[in-house]
Amino acid sequence: MSTAPILEARGIHRRFGGVVAVKDVSLSVGVGEIVGLIGPNGSGKSTMVNLITGELEANGGSFLFGGQDVTALPPYKRARLGMARSFQMIRLFGSLSVEDNLLLAHHIRMQSSTLDTILGRAQAVQEEDAVRAKARELLQWFEMEQFAKRPATDLSIGQQRMVELARGLISMPKLFLLDEPAAGLSPPNVDRLVGIIRRMRDEFGMSILLVEHDMRVVRELCDQVVVLDSGVMIAQGHPEAVVNDPVVVEAYIGSGWKRRAKA
Amino acid sequence: MKKNLSLVILVLLLAAVPFLVQGSYIVSLLLLMLVYVILTTGLNLVTGFCGQFSFAQGAFFGIGAYTAGIMSRDLHTGFWVHLPAGMIITGLCGLLLGIPALRLKGHFLAIVTIAFQTIVYLGLVQWTSFTGGQNGLPVEPVGDVSLFGAHLFTIDGLRANYWLILTATVVLVVIAERLVKSRLGREWVAVRDDEVLASAIGLNATRAKLTAFVASAAFAGAAGVLMAHYMGNIAPDDYTIWISCTIVAMMIIGGKGSFYGPILGVALLTLLPEMLGDWARYRMLFFGVLLVLAIALMPEGIAGRVRKLRATKEAQA
Repeated sequence: MSTAPILEARGIHRRFGGVVAVKDVSLSVGVGEIVGLIGPNGSGKSTMVNLITGELEANGGSFLFGGQDVTALPPYKRARLGMARSFQMIRLFGSLSVEDNLLLAHHIRMQSSTLDTILGRAQAVQEEDAVRAKARELLQWFEMEQFAKRPATDLSIGQQRMVELARGLISMPKLFLLDEPAAGLSPPNVDRLVGIIRRMRDEFGMSILLVEHDMRVVRELCDQVVVLDSGVMIAQGHPEAVVNDPVVVEAYIGSGWKRRAKA
Repeated sequence: MKKNLSLVILVLLLAAVPFLVQGSYIVSLLLLMLVYVILTTGLNLVTGFCGQFSFAQGAFFGIGAYTAGIMSRDLHTGFWVHLPAGMIITGLCGLLLGIPALRLKGHFLAIVTIAFQTIVYLGLVQWTSFTGGQNGLPVEPVGDVSLFGAHLFTIDGLRANYWLILTATVVLVVIAERLVKSRLGREWVAVRDDEVLASAIGLNATRAKLTAFVASAAFAGAAGVLMAHYMGNIAPDDYTIWISCTIVAMMIIGGKGSFYGPILGVALLTLLPEMLGDWARYRMLFFGVLLVLAIALMPEGIAGRVRKLRATKEAQA
């Protein structure tokens, strides 16, 4: 690739007590690329996402984000550099409205200080109005503007997922980490999700790291796929090549199938 | 707008009370209520909105009062110096107490705040050379107020202090409401709801918690300075953990995390002992029972329950 990747993980290690959850994993996400991170349950995918965002600290290895070493930075600083994420188990601020959930994610891009807002300075009020308008616009994009004032946890799982995506989008991140966004969605909603993720890349130029179990989603979206098994990277490459790789097939359904198939 | 108007009318009514009633009983009761409004609104910032439990509001109340007492003894300064100084010093002490809150959660943090409260009380009692011990310290009345050399009025006695404290309460409550609605206030709620998510979207949870502790303590500091100048004499026993517990009970019964709920709780729990007559000496027992009932039956407090009922009614309509 001509340009430097947006994210580069080099030799990442993470142990939980005696269990090695992630072992010497290196991967990179290019600018405007959608990279899939797949693997059986417990293979370390979510751990890897938590390591990238800084929620977990790596025991070894380093992360470069936009060419800058972010290994020692806490999560909020990495987010401010342009990382956003969604969670495997949906996380929203339950006591706040959908709009306020989006607003909070935009705080890191706001110029006026807390003092300005307390004093009710015109510039602060204008900025707040502008961000609310932006949140509305984004909700319209998701066809959810009628839910703006509703408490976030009143919504259905599918709608909450969309709010999570909108929350990530509003701060215009350089890298969006999606942790199983299709989990729990109905088939039509999965189709919608695929469309939205594609538009996030095509219209906003975002780079995306996608953890997903739904292979259809992975095949349709990903430029490149990384496969983890028991914390080790066992394959990497084009999605079609990877899903037919015997090592990957074995990791998913075990080696017994060959013997049984022969018998 | 309608809400603002009714609040203005309420404040005007409160300001008119000294003209409307005979004797000092009702005015002194209202004055006490106002001081508790400042204390409880302050605690609500850190506990209700930022989710960090604290049993140390009484200690900060004391630190504010003793700032006034010690400064007037050693530096011969007056109220208008003590008020900002008291808020700054308690704010710094709040910062100190906020530091363990960065690592501790829930019960463990509550225990640390109880320890802090106890240490401050013991300091006030034992460090006699600095605090005057159980004898306490005298504090001069606020006295003459002049602007550009022209004498305006004198603040001495119950009525004048009542108006001063009413003014301070209104100003502080307005500041608190603006804080809660500001970006910072929204970040407090975010940290309370989900700290992991808050940091994942780039919010500095450390800053949010520390600012909440500082703001909450500074409110108690202001209440302490005001009360010290009104009472004329301060003693450690006015700043015990029982004060802290009363403030916590007011906040929870009224509804923590709602803005006006805790103020309702203040009104309820200051009026209750007055109605108990001879039983008033058992008031902590009543507060305790009320607190347990509130937590068991309506953990969201009176204000939260009212809001919920209203929401279901709207949903049905």
